[in-house]
Amino acid sequence: MFKYLNPRRFYYAVGRKKFLEFILLAVFMLFFYGPLMYMCIMAFGNVYEVPNVLPQEWGFKWWSFVFSQKSLVSSIVQSLVIAVITTICSMVLCIPAAYSLARFRYPGRKIFMLSFLLTNAFPKLGIYTSIGILFYKYNLMGTLPGVVIIHMINSMMFMVWLPCSAFQSVHRQQEEAARDVGAGPIRTFFQVSFPMAMPGIMVATLYTFLGSMEEAQGTLLVGLAKIKTMPVEMYGIILDYPGQAGAVFAILLMIPAAVMIFAMRKYIGPEAIAGGFKMK
Amino acid sequence: MSKNMKKMLTGYGLVLPSFLMVMLVVTWPILTAMKTSFTDPDTGGFTLDNYKYFFETPRELTNILFTLFVVVVTVALAIIIAYMLALYLRFVRSKISRWIGNLYLLPRFVPGMVAVYAMITVIRDSGLLNRISQLFGGDFKPGMMYQASGMITMNLWFNIPFAALMITAGLGAIPDSMIESARDVGASKLRVFRSMILPLSIKDVVIAATFVFMSNVGSFTTPYLMGGNYPKMLGIVLFDQFNKYLRYERAAAMSFIIFLICSVSAGVYIYTNLREKEWEKN
Repeated sequence: MFKYLNPRRFYYAVGRKKFLEFILLAVFMLFFYGPLMYMCIMAFGNVYEVPNVLPQEWGFKWWSFVFSQKSLVSSIVQSLVIAVITTICSMVLCIPAAYSLARFRYPGRKIFMLSFLLTNAFPKLGIYTSIGILFYKYNLMGTLPGVVIIHMINSMMFMVWLPCSAFQSVHRQQEEAARDVGAGPIRTFFQVSFPMAMPGIMVATLYTFLGSMEEAQGTLLVGLAKIKTMPVEMYGIILDYPGQAGAVFAILLMIPAAVMIFAMRKYIGPEAIAGGFKMK
Repeated sequence: MSKNMKKMLTGYGLVLPSFLMVMLVVTWPILTAMKTSFTDPDTGGFTLDNYKYFFETPRELTNILFTLFVVVVTVALAIIIAYMLALYLRFVRSKISRWIGNLYLLPRFVPGMVAVYAMITVIRDSGLLNRISQLFGGDFKPGMMYQASGMITMNLWFNIPFAALMITAGLGAIPDSMIESARDVGASKLRVFRSMILPLSIKDVVIAATFVFMSNVGSFTTPYLMGGNYPKMLGIVLFDQFNKYLRYERAAAMSFIIFLICSVSAGVYIYTNLREKEWEKN
């Protein structure tokens, strides 16, 4: 086994093609996963000073520090609550629209589709700052519904486009067959179209949920420091606390993403995700 | 009521709630911002000064050019590297390509701030790279923080997986049999690439490029945590006008400048997308 540690021997042992592939894998891992791994190491260092590559003393000191901060723990709960509400609201609102855009042909269809692109092309900060006027008028500033609306804006495009391309890939004949044997339109939707478009809908849900978990700017501006989600707290932590506290909190911020991806790994593939960026 | 009419109304009925939501919370604020951007803060009358300010002040002009530079370099590098990665993932069948094929989906779902924070701990002058170099007796300072190079590195981290994903999805739609038949009649690998694979995947490349472009012009988190004081990215210029100087009119004008830059690429996107393939029409 150890003889493979010599690059030259390794090269001759596996051949040129394999060797290049291993180099590619190594570069890929170092660039994309190196920083994340390093952060995980940092989070478990009680004492960690410059020039040491690894912490001088390992332990859970910074974990107990983070959990002893009341505001941090409450921000975790708040983040989860807001993410769940956002996901449910945008599913209820957007999936019918996606179905309509996929199945019906009517004048103005392209304009409806494009209107969702607008949420992605205009700078978010520009929207947030001028939405304030509207929110002040209806007393939505610093409230939960206000923040939920902001989070919904971010993910509407995916929530419409992704399920739309998923519905389009369901064959019309399958729906017609269900109708022929006597199922009503609503039953056909819930028992045929919806389950078959599930992968696209799942990925869209994942996007919405995780997008809501990581949104910081809009929450900061509209939440007026009354609604504090995890990412909002994170800005403060990066600036005010030592590096290890930031690393611990960053890991906590990543856990929901990891859990969701693991639960939905069956549905996540390049084709399903790419559907969210194409207008058909 | 005819059947067609009824169908059309159902279609409208399903799409309207979300469309109205977009109108209310996106389009309406944008229109308000437009009005604000043409308003003189003192007199309340019509003026172009808010826009002129950004194009006539040398510092602000530098910010615009700096942003374009960072974004164009990001798009070019991300697309080239992603295209090669996508080709590899599509045409090499091995264990390693399967691993990478699973692993490259993940960065897309890592919260932006976490990724930026992790990258900072590695590339800052007292970060991991510096510490490792000290282990070997050197003192390598990457000097990437608060510079364009640091931001471009971070943008690549976010955008290579995304662009590769879009292109892989496009390449996946090219059937193996088509490539094999071209090879059978004697086309070289390069020829197959140039006259089949490239033209068939160019649409996805354009879509990926436009989204990378759009998401980086007004980006905030990366420049906020990694960018320097001057030159600044436009997202930070906008934030400062709003938050630091309380010049709402100028902030609104900046939003529109960013929007205009984005619309160039949005235009390309719409043009590529609206050319519906003949067999997809129904």
